[in-house]
Amino acid sequence: MSVIAPKFRLSEFLKVILDNLFWTVLLLSLIGIPAVQVVLFYVEMPVIDGELLTPFLALTWIADPSRIIPIIKALMATDFFRIAAFPGFGFAALIAAGTIFVERKMLAKMQLRVGPFYCGKMEGILQLMGDGLKLISKEIIIPAKADKPLFWAAPVLFVATAAAFVALIPVAPGWVVADVDVGLIAVFAVIGFFPIITILSAWSANSKFPFIGGIRALYQMVSFEIPLILSLLGAVILTGTLNLSEIVASQANFPWIIFLPIGAIVFFITMLAELERIPFDLPEAESEIVAGWLTEFSGMMYGLVQLGTYLKLYAFAALFVVMFLGGWHGPMIWPPFPQEIITDGIPLGPVTAQLPGLPVLTQEVLNGVLWFVLKTVGVIFFILLPRGVFPRIRVDMLLSLGWTKLIGLAFVNMFIALALIYAGVLGPGGML
Amino acid sequence: MADAAFLALSVITIGSAIAALELRSLIYGSIALMGTPGGVAGFFLLLDSPFVAMFQIAVYVGSIAVLILFTVMLVKRELIFKKVEDRRRKFAGIGLMLVFMLSLGAVIMDSGIKTITTDEPAVDFRDIGADFLTYYWPALILMGLILAGSVIGALILARREDITDEQRAN
Repeated sequence: MSVIAPKFRLSEFLKVILDNLFWTVLLLSLIGIPAVQVVLFYVEMPVIDGELLTPFLALTWIADPSRIIPIIKALMATDFFRIAAFPGFGFAALIAAGTIFVERKMLAKMQLRVGPFYCGKMEGILQLMGDGLKLISKEIIIPAKADKPLFWAAPVLFVATAAAFVALIPVAPGWVVADVDVGLIAVFAVIGFFPIITILSAWSANSKFPFIGGIRALYQMVSFEIPLILSLLGAVILTGTLNLSEIVASQANFPWIIFLPIGAIVFFITMLAELERIPFDLPEAESEIVAGWLTEFSGMMYGLVQLGTYLKLYAFAALFVVMFLGGWHGPMIWPPFPQEIITDGIPLGPVTAQLPGLPVLTQEVLNGVLWFVLKTVGVIFFILLPRGVFPRIRVDMLLSLGWTKLIGLAFVNMFIALALIYAGVLGPGGML
Repeated sequence: MADAAFLALSVITIGSAIAALELRSLIYGSIALMGTPGGVAGFFLLLDSPFVAMFQIAVYVGSIAVLILFTVMLVKRELIFKKVEDRRRKFAGIGLMLVFMLSLGAVIMDSGIKTITTDEPAVDFRDIGADFLTYYWPALILMGLILAGSVIGALILARREDITDEQRAN
């Protein structure tokens, strides 16, 4: 006979709760608060009321809510915030998570299925959280004869490479993690790491299907990297810079897709191949080779690879937006911040909350982020769409498409860009 | 700071080069081989030329190391490598390398490189491009022709003779 709690005693229950409380308070006060203080020493603190906010005074915002906004602004100015939260990892992971759910639901609707339904009462909106919890709690199984160091390193390296790719994408004017002068070349260098990680993880699993998938992935990525690079050079020729922020800034009046539609199409097709999406999902062809190079991954290792894949998807879609769709440019549709809140404060019954330091973000930045996200989501939608429609193509068709047609079209695109410059339409002293 | 980075990069570059030669596992050897051009890319970053560094990574780590990995994975190791453990050869090789590096180092040190002091800003990559298109244009065209020739030659070599034309895709 099984009893859930055979020796339940209220006194022991209370003791456990008090024990946990004691340890939480002790660890927080001995480790947590000093850790926060140590972090605050590295943050450039704001000046409030003519007095520099030192880390010793940092917690005074609890007693004085008007100090919250300057502190938030100081935190937002740190590099850590950029890397971990807004233009970097957190923002991309949020869009990636949304993409996974929308993909499952939209494909289900396209194929007259229901899709995720039960998790979270309404249309399965909590499915993703449930999947994440499942992946975290599952055991990680490593094949007996696998090469353990490489097998462990591969998912982490995959996510790290995808995050490095995300870090190069400018989201709004001034909001980019790594604003490097040779941004596009850095993108090419980062993309070059994906096939290495794929083939190494495939080899280290010491299993047939991952190895076949890895070899296919290598073929596909290496041969499609060339048209990928060539298709972006048209925009570089027109812009005269490799810095992604400057490329976006050059599209203030019109996006490059108007002049370089061929380049955009070539880049979109190569993007599908680099992302291993249908119709180019040969490395993960589930009806032929189980799950391709992902076959032996289990638990959170699989979760990490999935996260990396969708981060990569966001980054490629964002790169398309940056190169061809004009990035953050768009008509001003974000409403201006109400002036009376800045001047008069928010009346809350008898008192008025004065919040100095508002607005936190300017209208231009918010509008830019809105347009960037809208365009990126649109491109992601078009990346997801073929999955519901197209079958998988053969590997020889894939390779001949990449090597003969796409490279040729990419060169045509470059010649169009050159012709536009030499005809005096665009570029320095051009008509437009 | 720059000295520490330089030392770390030197250790990475030379250490991975030695590892690439000495490791018995071919896969780990080729991974170590990636460390060497990666370290050289770090040197280029230290020398304020990120353009060359990024190309170093994209070409040497991203393409050539991938090709080496690919080749290593497609061959059976026992077929092409016989284990020859010859200690005398090994020490002779190390000695030869030391002599070579010492003489090369002596030549470089003697060439007056230590007396060069310059505070000029790093060369912009746009200038490199402009130079290539103006003063060095014959070299550029020659390189383009050689590359095109090698690509065409590779395509001809890779063309399979045992299948007829209607069996090809499209």
